[in-house]
Amino acid sequence: MDVSQYLEIFLDETKEHLQSLNENLLVIEKEPENKDTINEIFRAAHSLKGMAGTMGFKRMQRLTHDMENVFSEIRNGKMTVTAGLIDVLFQCLDALEEYLDIIQSTANEGENDNEAIINRLNEILQEGQGGGAPAAAPAGDAAPAEGAAAPAGEAGEEKFRNIAFTDEMKSKVTEADEKGLNLYGLSVYINNSCLLKAARAFLVLKAMEDFGEILTTDPSNQDLEDEKFEFDFSLYVLSSAPVEQLIEAAKSISEIEKVVGAKVTLEEIENKGKAQEAPKEEEAPAAAAETAPVPAAPAAPAKAASNKPAAASSAPAAQTNKPVVSRTVRVDIEKLDDLMNQVSELIIAKNSLVSITASEENGVSQNQPFHEQIEYLERITTSLHESVMKVRMVPIESVVNRFPRMIRDLSKKLDKKMELFMSGEDTELDRTVIDEIGDPLMHLLRNSADHGLESAEVRKERGKPEVGSIWLTAYQEGNNVIIEVKDDGNGIDVESVKQKGIERGIITPEQADTMSSKEIIDLLFLPSFSMAKKISDISGRGVGLDVVKSKIESLSGEVEVKSVQGEGSKFTIRLPLTLAIIQALMVEIGKEKYAISLGSIQTIEDVAYEDIKYVEAKEVINLRGTVIPLIRMDQVLEVERTDEEKPESLTVVIVRKGERFAGLIVDNLMGQQEIVIKSLGKYIDNNKVISGATILGDGEVALILDVNALI
Amino acid sequence: MENAVATTEKKKKVITEVEMKQYIVVKIGSERYGIDITFIDNIVRMQKITRVPKAQDYFNGVINLRGEVVPVMSVRIRMGLEPDEFTNNSRIIIIKLEQQGSIGLIVDEVQEVVTLNTNQIDRISFDNSSDKTTFINGIGKHEDQLISLLELQSVVAERVIQ
Repeated sequence: MDVSQYLEIFLDETKEHLQSLNENLLVIEKEPENKDTINEIFRAAHSLKGMAGTMGFKRMQRLTHDMENVFSEIRNGKMTVTAGLIDVLFQCLDALEEYLDIIQSTANEGENDNEAIINRLNEILQEGQGGGAPAAAPAGDAAPAEGAAAPAGEAGEEKFRNIAFTDEMKSKVTEADEKGLNLYGLSVYINNSCLLKAARAFLVLKAMEDFGEILTTDPSNQDLEDEKFEFDFSLYVLSSAPVEQLIEAAKSISEIEKVVGAKVTLEEIENKGKAQEAPKEEEAPAAAAETAPVPAAPAAPAKAASNKPAAASSAPAAQTNKPVVSRTVRVDIEKLDDLMNQVSELIIAKNSLVSITASEENGVSQNQPFHEQIEYLERITTSLHESVMKVRMVPIESVVNRFPRMIRDLSKKLDKKMELFMSGEDTELDRTVIDEIGDPLMHLLRNSADHGLESAEVRKERGKPEVGSIWLTAYQEGNNVIIEVKDDGNGIDVESVKQKGIERGIITPEQADTMSSKEIIDLLFLPSFSMAKKISDISGRGVGLDVVKSKIESLSGEVEVKSVQGEGSKFTIRLPLTLAIIQALMVEIGKEKYAISLGSIQTIEDVAYEDIKYVEAKEVINLRGTVIPLIRMDQVLEVERTDEEKPESLTVVIVRKGERFAGLIVDNLMGQQEIVIKSLGKYIDNNKVISGATILGDGEVALILDVNALI
Repeated sequence: MENAVATTEKKKKVITEVEMKQYIVVKIGSERYGIDITFIDNIVRMQKITRVPKAQDYFNGVINLRGEVVPVMSVRIRMGLEPDEFTNNSRIIIIKLEQQGSIGLIVDEVQEVVTLNTNQIDRISFDNSSDKTTFINGIGKHEDQLISLLELQSVVAERVIQ
């Protein structure tokens, strides 16, 4: 059966199931007795298995099958949930995600059998069943699964024995043999929480090269570099040193968990080569045989008499407790973009109609129906715009729902107790923003976990609760969406940032003395400014906050930090709700027309000349108790002045960025308009004063002022 | 088999190199310049150019080209000549290079289209870093007249020529 047309649906649904598994495992880790969650997990695992089977992804099916067995035991009360079990299950999920990634890029599940994980699962299953009378059906299920695992996994931990030798390699071995070099096979196991597997693998290979020549690696060298491997890899080395020395050298590299190695002779390889051909043929029918009973298997335990009450009781619970699955329509983003462009055209058309009427009003013909038509058109375009925008909006949940799992893993890795509190997951953002915002948020969270929160002992000493808290909050504010990452950790040590800044030559000691603590904290966003006293894998590689900042800025957003030493720090990300069409105020400066986004405008004031005060030789006004600096736009924009006639008062547009205000002095207000943002292209470099352009009704181009850059 | 394909492709390339290339001849100042016709998207009359503050000085601004905002540059200022005087003959040549977006070049006058074959062109090596020659990749000879062939990549590139 050709199932390729279902691939997309399969990927989407599998992702959803994996996400729900992830979330539920986190719940069950805290409440091992939660029956509803266990049932939910079982159902998700079961659907996963069924789907993988239908699509013909055998490896994935086998893994989920074994997972399901474990869940089934837990559900039937024959096994208890232990920390070790949860760890293995999380590994399973990671492995499944990996399959999914491979499937997404190649439509094939890849070659990784994940023997280690499957074996662990089965071990746990057997341990759990050890005492009690084993349930007939699950035990029967487990047995064939293990049987199938056996031939592939016969090498056990010495995975290098699975590497096939080519003739070329064999001749090299023979040659080396004559020179008195030994052939060693090595399998290296990297710590499961390692984030830079490729780097570790590289270090191992480099260490091995010191001893001799690396004959081959599995996976290939390229795949190792690209991190296309699980947590282990194997290699053959030709060397004169004893194998123990090689193993020691490899082990000395950090995050390498285990290294197994042995001397291999040419005869062994020859024998294996012959033997391999035989089992290969056997394996195929074995795999086929294994899959055959599988569709029946899930049905079997459910039907078994002993299980009936459990199944029956879980069914109503499922109905009442079923999470509200959001009914989604998956739309190709390209189609949406097309729709978006059409709306843009429509708005341009509308604007040109508006300008025609404006010119006609000055002339003779006053046409009532024509006016009505325009009003109608205006209504349509506005509502069309709104509905299209809504289609593009995605709840931020789809990005943040992977963070609880990440924090859990970080907590284990860093050996710090911490908890993540999230709120406002239903806040919606433009799809393009959603796709980009994940990495910066992840970075900020890691930053908080690693640098922000103190260790449990220090927290105790300081009279804080032992478990550190990280908050991720999202909400909408006007035309912006605010995302906050806050922790109750140590906060930013201003002094040490200052020292670092001086050390790095970013600021001079004299400058440092005059800088406010806010200015000093802003230094953190400069490229290559890493605060970590010791570089860790989690953060502190010197590509930190500056990357976060540039990413957010590329989304026309901004990021701000507030920190109180000893109490914690808060990163605030401010993002525009939409990117393509905005409401803007059109203003005239000199003879040029500019647009200012309505979202950033606070008020518009008429200011008399005598109300302008001077602070540090800069013009300011005191507006209802707030001192606001004035910016003469004609000077900033270098607009040519023709008439030096001074008007009686100044028109000042008060704009706001976060908690800062500024008053932009303009010559004329032209009114509010919906504008379509167009890019200026890559050629023009304008120091960020202009964020884009738009086409007015009469075909003229007006530039959009970037208020954020002005304040 | 693959090798065979590769060689035929190579041959094709060689042939096109010997073949003719069409250039649009424009006047900038007193000199005649040729622009490779394959890069030209459009030629438009002068229209209102919106100035972009704080941009590089050789950018006159942006224009609206059928709903797209296209930056327009003065080749004169780019080459260190006197600023343009727009006349009835002034034109904006819209160029589309691969990957980068469209860009408009202001020229004093569009004169003709000429076809040059390779032996009518004297190539100028690129590494000559002194002033104007960097904008030119060859000199074409056509009916006893010389045409400087513009190297569009370097005209458009961000690099500031000292």
